[in-house]
This record gives sequence, structure tokens and C-alpha cells, in this order.
Amino acid sequence: MAVSDSAGTSVAKAKNRRALSPSLPSGVWFLIRFVVVAAITWFVMSRANVNIGSIGQGLGLALVGVGVYITFRVLNFPDLSVDGSFPIGGAVCAALISTYGITAEFTLLASFIAGALTGLATALIHVTFKIEGLLASIIVATGAYTITLRTMGTSNIPLLNERTILTPYEDGMRNFLVGAFGDEWRRQSNNMVEIVVFLVVVGGVLALLNWFFRTEIGLTLRAAGRNAQMVRALGTDDKRMIVLGLMVSNGLAGLAGALAVQQLGFADVQMGVGMIIRGLAAVMIGEVLLRPKTVGQAIVAASVGMLVFEISRAWVFAALDLNASDVRLVSALVVLSALAAPNIAQRWRDWRRRRNATAEVA
Amino acid sequence: MLTLDNVRVTFNAGTPSEVTALNDVSLDVNEGDFVTIIGANGAGKSTLFNIIAGTVLADRGKIVLDDNDISNYAEYRRSNYIGRVFQNPGMGTCPGLSIYENLKLASMRGRSLTYRPGYQRKDAVRFRELLAQFDMGLENRMDTDVAMLSGGQRQAITLLMATITQPKLLLLDEHTAALDPNAAVQILDLTEVLAEQFKLTVIMITHSMQQACTMGNRIVMMNRGEVIDDIYGEERHTIIAENLIERFRNIKNVTLSDRTLLS
Repeated sequence: MAVSDSAGTSVAKAKNRRALSPSLPSGVWFLIRFVVVAAITWFVMSRANVNIGSIGQGLGLALVGVGVYITFRVLNFPDLSVDGSFPIGGAVCAALISTYGITAEFTLLASFIAGALTGLATALIHVTFKIEGLLASIIVATGAYTITLRTMGTSNIPLLNERTILTPYEDGMRNFLVGAFGDEWRRQSNNMVEIVVFLVVVGGVLALLNWFFRTEIGLTLRAAGRNAQMVRALGTDDKRMIVLGLMVSNGLAGLAGALAVQQLGFADVQMGVGMIIRGLAAVMIGEVLLRPKTVGQAIVAASVGMLVFEISRAWVFAALDLNASDVRLVSALVVLSALAAPNIAQRWRDWRRRRNATAEVA
Repeated sequence: MLTLDNVRVTFNAGTPSEVTALNDVSLDVNEGDFVTIIGANGAGKSTLFNIIAGTVLADRGKIVLDDNDISNYAEYRRSNYIGRVFQNPGMGTCPGLSIYENLKLASMRGRSLTYRPGYQRKDAVRFRELLAQFDMGLENRMDTDVAMLSGGQRQAITLLMATITQPKLLLLDEHTAALDPNAAVQILDLTEVLAEQFKLTVIMITHSMQQACTMGNRIVMMNRGEVIDDIYGEERHTIIAENLIERFRNIKNVTLSDRTLLS
């Protein structure tokens, strides 16, 4: 057998592509983009006087973005149950801390499990009854409201005087900041604790996920979302992978719920509303800004997307004097523009090409 | 080795569009056989593959593979013993994953998955050696997304993926029909090389009388959900495409389109 023609041309094509973009590995480009985005964000924040509290907020919700990435992009499964698993995670955390006096660190695991069970419910409805994913997850999100309320026993649990995962570091951070940078940092010390603690938690989870997606099971999970028929033809039940993926995704949302509750200082039965659309916005912003090429890059991008979203939200809201309840319209508009942008760009290119063609004829 | 015992499949049963896709088909395939299956569109060739692979379950009848009754096994369970290549090169490989990752997925067929890292140096070395014998330069592009490859290259990888764990049975469903003539020849050569190398039992659906006559050691002709002719042994050696067409013309009730006969 000789080298085939088709092989020859595609090698040539690959060379062409390399000639068009400077020959740096995708990881380096990702890092460059990351640094640029961070620098711009930092510049905007300092110029517009955006409170650094929004960074902590974004980090707390970052895992929602990662969870949504796993269902929408990896599994190709439109899952809305995040709207239910996020508050369930928060409710479990708040109830365990305030009612049962469980140490805050352990509640994170409990919240992850509670979220994962929510995802399991959606997956089982989809797999056993062959109900479409969108519908199955709406059913679960609807039912999850009651579970959240029952778990909490009331519609709001305050945690202001409880020990959270943030409490142990607050005094140390305050003393350090005031000692090192002066008294004006006293106000920011709790925000700084949030940023550091959440950075450790989110960073750890991302590292774990990066490992997971590279294992045999993680690899099969990624394949199941792209080509389920192939996964079946290779001897694995693709349904098992859907179940696993939805559990991981919603577990992350539950964990994010627990982080958010400890940061806000209360759990509220309404706090999951609109969470899925925020997660989607995070995934899309991350993809546009960082153009991830691997799974590892994509989960970082989703987290960064959530950060950028939360920071720009804080900025826009402060600048335009908007109401807290306006967040949902803003989220909706962000997702809409991210979805519509490729379409609009294509139309613009088509229109320009037609105009040029007509100009040549004339 | 593979035995189909009076297998019947009916689609849309009880409705006006009821079709009997397989009408009490019985077939025995011996270990090491290379069977080619021919027949017009709608003859039941693909349905035959679907019930062997488990994509469709039979209404009645038994499917036995190596003394195992697999009639009620789900598709993914049968896939532990059966490799399959489809007509569409896109179906057998997973876009978004690299050549290495696709081969790795295939090499895990028949065992339970673990949390070990997907990248193993010894696998990479083995895949590279296997790909090198294709002479397509694929062994140097292990990290390339398979979506970047041509149809012929993807089908070559699919073929390797279907055979790499030496399944008991290999099903080829017109696996060269969507390729250009050069690539088709290449894939057919590769098919024979791999079948030999891994000592596989193969069943191949084809629309080409030429392929049916030049490949394999047995020809099965299907029509309207039934096996109407089965040529093997002495007879099989002497057959050429023209005889084959003549032969099937003489069998009663055969509806073959001219396109099928002439191709």
C-alpha cells in the first residue's frame, strides 16, 4: 500500500493551517489569553471601583459554570436541573450547620452528594422512561423546590453567627491585611478570605476533574456525548455514562450552592432561580474569551467565564444603578448575545461577500 | 461459531405498513469463515447485522455465539464479542478525540473500565506499530483530532478499532461504499490483512458482485428477508461475477435492481 492521495492532501492542509497561525502549542495561547483577560478585568475593576467581593461571588458560583459545561458541552445533554441541585446543595449545607451543628467543611461533601442525587434523578427519568433531557430536568427542578423547602424547614436559614469554612481565617486575614497595607483594608478582609478559600476549593476541584476526564472512564464519558453509538459498539453502556456525567455535574452545582450559602451568610429557597442561565453565560463567555482546546482548558474557561460575568454584573449594576432583581434579564441578554453572535457574524460575512461580488460585476 | 436459528423480525407489526424484515432466517457461520452477503435494497442484510449486534431484538428465534445464547443481550454487552464497521466513516470514530484516544477506547472493549489514566506509554507504542502497517502516515499523528482526517483514514482507524481486541466476530456493513475508489481498495486490502492477522471470523455486506467473488470463502444471497442461496466449498472457488448474476437470475422470485446486478 502506498501513501494515499487523501492522506497527502490533509497533511498539506495541516501545514497550511500551521502557517496561518503562529506555531505555538494551544496551551501557551490559552495561557496568554488568560493573562490578557485577567489584566483587562483587573484594570476595569480598579478604574470603575468594582468591589472585590464580586470576585469571591464569582468563585463561589464558578463550579455551576463547570457543571453546566459538563452537561451541555461534554455530554451534549441539555440539563436544567442545576436550578434545583444548586439550592438543594445550599439547603443541605445550611441545615446541617445550623440545625445539626455539623462542621462546615464536612457539609461540602454532603452538598455535593445531595446535588449528585438530584442529577441522578434527572438521569434515571431520562434513561428509564426515555423522556427528553430538557423535560426530565424541568420535572426534577420543579420537584427540587419542595425538597429544598423541606430540608430547610423554613424558606430562609440565616448563618450569620455560625462557624462556616470562612470563619477560622477571618481574624488572621484581618490582622495580616491591616498590618501590611493599613487600616483601609479592614473592610475588605472578609472578601479576601472568601477569595483565598474559594480559590483553593475551586482549584482543587478543577484539578480533580482534569484528572477524572483523562482516566479511562472520563475518556468514555467524553466519547458518549459525541458518539453514543460508537460507545455502545465498543462494549460500554452509554446510559451509565449519562448517569455518571449528570451526577458529577449536579454534584458540582450542589457544592457551589454550599459555597454560596456560606459566603452570603444565609440560605434561601429562591436562590437557585436563574442559575442555569448564569451557568450557560459563564460557559459561553469563557469560550469566547479563552477559546479552550482541551477539557482541562475548558473547565478553567468556564470558571473564568463565571468570574467575568459576576464582575461585569457588579460593574454594570453599580454604573447603571440597577436593581438586584434585574440580574435575570442581564443574564438572559448575555446568553442571547453569545448564542446569536456566530449567526450575526455569518450574515455579515455573507452580506459583504455579495456586495463585493456585485461591485466586481459593475 | 455463530448460529442463527429461525430468526424472525417484523417492523411496525399490526399496522398497515407491517414489514417482515427477516423471515425465519437460519444461518451457521464457522470459525475463521469470511462470508460476503449480497442482496438488493430491502433484502434484510442490515437487519441481519442489527439482530446479530443487538441493535434490534428478534421477535423470535435464537442467536448463539460460541455456545452462548446472546438473543437477549443488550447491544453494548454483545459488543464485547462483536466488532462492527458501518458504511458512514463518521459513525465508527469519535470526533473531538484524538487518534490515540479513539484507539484507547477501542482497546478497552470487553473489560470493565477503571480510573487509571487513559494515556499509557505501552499502548501508544502498540498503536503506533499497528498504524504504521497502514502506510498512511497516521502513526505520526496520534494526537490529531479524528475529525481532521479524510473518510478513508477514518475508516481505516475504525477498522483497526473494530479488530484491535480480536473480537469473535467482525461485521462489515458496506464499509467501503462511502469512499472514493482508491480509498475503497485500500480499506479492502486492509480488511484482509487485519482479518488474517487477528484470525477473525468476518461477515461482510457488499453491493459489489466483484467484491463478493474476490473476497472471502463463502457467499450468502439474501432476498425479501430470506437466505436464498449459500455458496461455499468447491463451488465457491469457481464462481466469477458473471456466473453469480446468472445464477441469481435463475432463482425464483428474486427481485434485484439492475443497478445492484451491474455494480
